[in-house]
Amino acid sequence: MNAINRYKEVSGTTDKADHLWRYTPWKKVHPTGDIKIVPEIDKEVKLRLINLDGTDLAEGISLQKGNVLEEKIEDIDPVATSFIKAVSEKSRWVLRTERKFTSEAPILLEIETNSDFNSLELVLDIGEMSEFEIVTLIKGESDWTGFLRTGRIGDGSNINDITVCLQKKGVLLRLDSIALGRDANMNTGTVSSGSERTKADLRYRMAENGSHLQVLGSILSREDMYLDYHIEIQHDAPETFSRLDWHAACGGKSRTIGTGMLKVAKGSTGTDAAQNFHNLLLSKDAEADGIPELEVSESNVVGCGHGIANGPIDENQVFYLQSRGFSKSDARSALIAAFLNSTLVKMGSTVLHEWLSKLLTSELDAMNK
Amino acid sequence: MFKRDSVCTYTMESSVPLLEIKNLHAGIDGNQILNGINIEIGAGEIHAIMGRNGSGKTTTANIVMGHPDFDVEEGEIKLKGDNLLDLETWERAKRGVFLSFQYPQAVPGLQVGNFLKKSVASIKGEEAAKGKNFRELLKKSMKELNMPSSFLSRYVNDGFSGGEKKRFEILQMMLLQPQLAILDETDSGLDIDGIRTVATGINSSIRGTNSGALIITHYSRILDYIKPDKIHVLIDGKIVATGDSTLATDLEENGYDWLEERVKEGGIN
Repeated sequence: MNAINRYKEVSGTTDKADHLWRYTPWKKVHPTGDIKIVPEIDKEVKLRLINLDGTDLAEGISLQKGNVLEEKIEDIDPVATSFIKAVSEKSRWVLRTERKFTSEAPILLEIETNSDFNSLELVLDIGEMSEFEIVTLIKGESDWTGFLRTGRIGDGSNINDITVCLQKKGVLLRLDSIALGRDANMNTGTVSSGSERTKADLRYRMAENGSHLQVLGSILSREDMYLDYHIEIQHDAPETFSRLDWHAACGGKSRTIGTGMLKVAKGSTGTDAAQNFHNLLLSKDAEADGIPELEVSESNVVGCGHGIANGPIDENQVFYLQSRGFSKSDARSALIAAFLNSTLVKMGSTVLHEWLSKLLTSELDAMNK
Repeated sequence: MFKRDSVCTYTMESSVPLLEIKNLHAGIDGNQILNGINIEIGAGEIHAIMGRNGSGKTTTANIVMGHPDFDVEEGEIKLKGDNLLDLETWERAKRGVFLSFQYPQAVPGLQVGNFLKKSVASIKGEEAAKGKNFRELLKKSMKELNMPSSFLSRYVNDGFSGGEKKRFEILQMMLLQPQLAILDETDSGLDIDGIRTVATGINSSIRGTNSGALIITHYSRILDYIKPDKIHVLIDGKIVATGDSTLATDLEENGYDWLEERVKEGGIN
């Protein structure tokens, strides 16, 4: 069955009012609003793979068009998945690393989204014992962007993987379905200060023994943005570890949503997992929701916890910084930056952190103008 | 009034006190806390305020620094003759008022090194936070306070022990070199070595300079190392006694009851 027919089949059973993961109706993130339509996207999305510092890429990494493997991705929402597959005919890519690929310099994967509609499917095929950092930067002024990322992190690999969303407008529909191999270690972060409307469904599966995952978010919403993130972590093997730490600063009339689902399958003994959502409300009209959930089917675990904290900027902190010479607006900016930095700093190396911090600072400056 | 200095020139000795608090009445949420406080601190002087919990010591400190929650109903606060009450907190900081907090705020995500630079740049100017001079002052001050350089990469007061918080407050004071330092129970939670270290930092920042300090404390221990010029005792939002360092010893030995009795009897106003 081709991708379009697959979408029509699954969407035909979906009521228009159905929400994608409860909070965002599918029609709100569909490019036309009419879920029966599968628009034809004739332009391919432009990708560029370079080192962040401008040096040559190390040998052993490639970005190739086509040849998308049939991945097991039925865990993600079938409507959204089949839709992106149906509209990504011209933009299917595989990012592959050889066994023991290493790169000292962080790698940058740039995704330019300047045509009206863009959709992209990317498969990660990360070889065993690879070690590198990669930033996927999504930017541009597209009306609609779909981004489906699937794949597997090879056994014993150590990856810092950050996705930065800085689109100036439009809708972003982003789906991740990544499995971690035995003893693989992955830090995966999201830095977002863009798109008018984002719906993301990010799913990670601890498929084999000893895998280690950290999911981090530094989200800045402003004006009328609507940013809805669902993060699902599935522990399917013993002795696995995961942490979800999600920070969202919400200003203007924007709304952020963070829903977390932590699943521990029977037999995943020794699992150590926790998820925390922190929302900082920057205005009276902003709204932030955080909903962590657990489904634990194994009793012999190290721990499974969840928590949430919502609140405005602490005026005592503002007073403290003012007493050190910060003006009121500088104090507020410093506190927002610090709040977002708490997760940003865990995403990667010092070099990468400096790069991300500069980016975030310029976004905060733009917000304060 | 004229004074002859060591190079045989004549300068006018300022008659304007460094800090002048006059008849200060203030409170919070309609509750009166301060009932007419008067304090005058000259340049180079160190004063101490002692008093029981709830007597108004921390309120006094917060009001001088400009905490927005407190309402000043009456009175004046002047720094070198300039009215502070019309200024925002950060403007007071730029004029040279520094408050070492009893409970300093933690700011996870804000690195100590960046915070110090920004703070020095805000108060003393961008140039003061750059280059060799800043680095040397930072290194010297940290050494004096027994703080390792790894401290700079931590987050402001995040996970600090009680002693580390107090040392960090004093480090900021040493870098910002304020005109007036208010130290709100900087000695509480410190062991003897910590008190000695902090006292050394305070003495080196204030003694022999034109700056002044107001030390708020419950105990006389820190005063053994600092030797204030004057000690004020605060009861129910009013200064009921002022004396030299022997007053601290009396309070340590006899408590506050005898003073309260004398206030009730009308012996002290």
